[in-house]
Amino acid sequence: MIQDLKYQLKQQIIEELKLEDLKPEDIKDDAPLFGDGLGLDSIDALELVVLLEKYHGVKITDEETGKKALASIDTMAQFIMEEKARQQ
Amino acid sequence: MKIFVTGIGAITAIGGNVVENLNSLRSLRTGLHKSSEYNLITGEVSLTNDQLSECFHLHDQNYSRTTLLSLPAAREAWGNNVRDSRIRTGLISSTSVGGMDRTEKYYFHDRRTNSPSHYHLMVHDNGTTTELLAEELGITGYISTISTACSSGANSIMQAARLVEAGRLDRVIAGGSEPLALFDTKGFASLNIYDPGFCKPFDENRKGLNLGEGAAFLVLENEKSLSATGNQPICVLSGWNNASDAFHQTASSPDGRGAYLAMIHALEKAGLSATEIDYVNAHGTGTVNNDLSESMALQKVFGKVPPFSSTKGFTGHTLAAAGAIEAVYCVLSISNQSILPNINFETSMHETGLQPEKEFRPASIQHVLSNSFGFGGNCTSLVFSKS
Amino acid sequence: MFIKAASTISYQRTFRNPGFSATLKPLTTQSELLAPDYSGFIAAMDRRRMTDIQKMSITCAMDCLDQSGIKQPDAIIVGTSMGCSVNIKTFLDKILEAGEGPLSPTSFIVSTHNTVAGQIALLLKNHGYNMTYTQNTLSFEQALIDAMISCDDSMKNVLVGGADEEENAIYNMHGRLGDKRAQLTSGASFFLVSNQKEPGAVRIVDVGSFGWVEDNGHTVNQFLQANNTTIDEVDLTLFAIDGKQNELPNLLPGKLIDYQQFAGTYYTSSAFAMHYAFDILLTQLHSNHGDHVKTILVYNNLLPENLGLILLTSKTD
Repeated sequence: MIQDLKYQLKQQIIEELKLEDLKPEDIKDDAPLFGDGLGLDSIDALELVVLLEKYHGVKITDEETGKKALASIDTMAQFIMEEKARQQ
Repeated sequence: MKIFVTGIGAITAIGGNVVENLNSLRSLRTGLHKSSEYNLITGEVSLTNDQLSECFHLHDQNYSRTTLLSLPAAREAWGNNVRDSRIRTGLISSTSVGGMDRTEKYYFHDRRTNSPSHYHLMVHDNGTTTELLAEELGITGYISTISTACSSGANSIMQAARLVEAGRLDRVIAGGSEPLALFDTKGFASLNIYDPGFCKPFDENRKGLNLGEGAAFLVLENEKSLSATGNQPICVLSGWNNASDAFHQTASSPDGRGAYLAMIHALEKAGLSATEIDYVNAHGTGTVNNDLSESMALQKVFGKVPPFSSTKGFTGHTLAAAGAIEAVYCVLSISNQSILPNINFETSMHETGLQPEKEFRPASIQHVLSNSFGFGGNCTSLVFSKS
Repeated sequence: MFIKAASTISYQRTFRNPGFSATLKPLTTQSELLAPDYSGFIAAMDRRRMTDIQKMSITCAMDCLDQSGIKQPDAIIVGTSMGCSVNIKTFLDKILEAGEGPLSPTSFIVSTHNTVAGQIALLLKNHGYNMTYTQNTLSFEQALIDAMISCDDSMKNVLVGGADEEENAIYNMHGRLGDKRAQLTSGASFFLVSNQKEPGAVRIVDVGSFGWVEDNGHTVNQFLQANNTTIDEVDLTLFAIDGKQNELPNLLPGKLIDYQQFAGTYYTSSAFAMHYAFDILLTQLHSNHGDHVKTILVYNNLLPENLGLILLTSKTD
């Protein structure tokens, strides 16, 4: 289940952030998304917040939470699972 | 060569002309309120498009609100000026969205009808909104529109001075106009830099900007033009500069490099040292990023920062028009020998400890510095001096 | 002011093709934008957010710097009428799509008209003067006038360009042109200009921008006179008008070429015309012009109420 979610996230990130040269297989689950890893920037961070709300119904409301949740595919998936559990 | 300011005009959320704006500044009366149309705090001009059209006896014209707002401000600045074949006259306006209010009409409504007409699109481009203003004022020849986001209005005024100094023009009416549009309110909200409450420029707890709309113009002349028009100078535009921050598309650099360069070179152009500035009208949008970056730059330029304020707590951030509206306010600072207030400020930023001026108070004002910084890292500073 | 380098991306094979003026063919309905492989000029992570206008402009700007060996220009000045119109349309679509839900900000961020000039500065880490003019068909002329003022004001090297990208939903030219058959296209032309003279250089003598123009012939005459030039000294006029050729002022010299047939129709196409003129002067290859084309006038009357004039010469006196 969580592996499907991670794969889906990778597909969505590639599409929404227009990372045309990448395939989901190229993104490691634990690789840093920002800085030295995938090299995303602050504009991408805003897009990821939108992506989480639009496709997964979870909201990031402050910068601190955002920094932790958006660090990698692993942390994004974890954040989604935790938020969904809290919503129920 | 001296560049004289001989006319000013403004329409904003705090007044339909210069005197009304001044009275609002004096009495600390903000023009910001919660807009039912945008569901955000904005600085709306109280006149509708129909009312603006009526003022100018325009009927059934396909004019964007950008043109309609520019008319009263430009007419007020232009005053009794007339066409004069002895002097070369130009018009330089500025806008970010141009005819976007009409474009939104087309895009969100007309397009969905059975036979959509492109009528409302005809005034989409920036240049057209200025051409229509030129037509109303009877100006031909050098008609220009600058668009550099939030520094546009200041750049128009700077460009007017450069054209006069270069001997290409003698008299220029320069400024900017910007309506509120869904494009911008949605855009800034999507960046998470729109304060859900009233903006708090330079405050530790600031959360972002509030948008506003409005227009303002200045008339600039050289000596040759003054001889022909007989206009009285109000003050002088003594310095200007534009520089790039080159850090990020929307964010300012932590050390405010572009802002710093614009300020010191504007002072250089004016032949002034930093200690000679009596008041700074800051860009001060109320965003976490701008106000810190600008504060860093101010401290680097001045060491001991002179009295300063942002007037965006009154008008909201009027994007392209901001530099022009604030230029008019700087002229008022000189002509009224007063410091202008920064409202909604309570607590200094912990990084700087800087305190903007909270009151409208008399002071000896010889030289004023005005800052405007825009998306794309475009930074402009203007210096106005008592003539 | 002299042209040190020029670069154009258009519907013709103009990019890195000196002498292209001899090979131009009128556009057909099959014609397309002939862009180079941008991956050689712009990194993928930067390119992903860019539309045509940004990709064309940045590539041409970098090409000019490459050609001239200048690493940092003192000023970057751009003329564009519609700016990043694709991003503007995209953001309008996003607003409709999102309703009251979360809204994607990227297209808004790169929608301002000065995004092109700003992005060039960002990529170069250039802290110099940066300006954008948006006066529909006169945008490029005004950028050039600013370049002349800047060069006279001690800026040594100025990067100046004109660009517009075609985008059908909101592009309003068809509504304003008399000839509804005009083929809307895109293009970008950039130049590195400087007051430093070099042997064999092409000089921009002067530029004029006339809004609500009242008498085109009189305006041309005055413009030439102010630059100590007579109409007989103009060897060739490259023109664009909204209408038929016999509406050109009678005073224009015999040799006339309509540049719209090669550039197509976009607001800043006079920038294409200036590169076209520069190429002719520099290479003198186009046999139809004969051997002695030394002075060219670009006559931009694309919108009837606006007249843009650019006077170029390869004469050294």
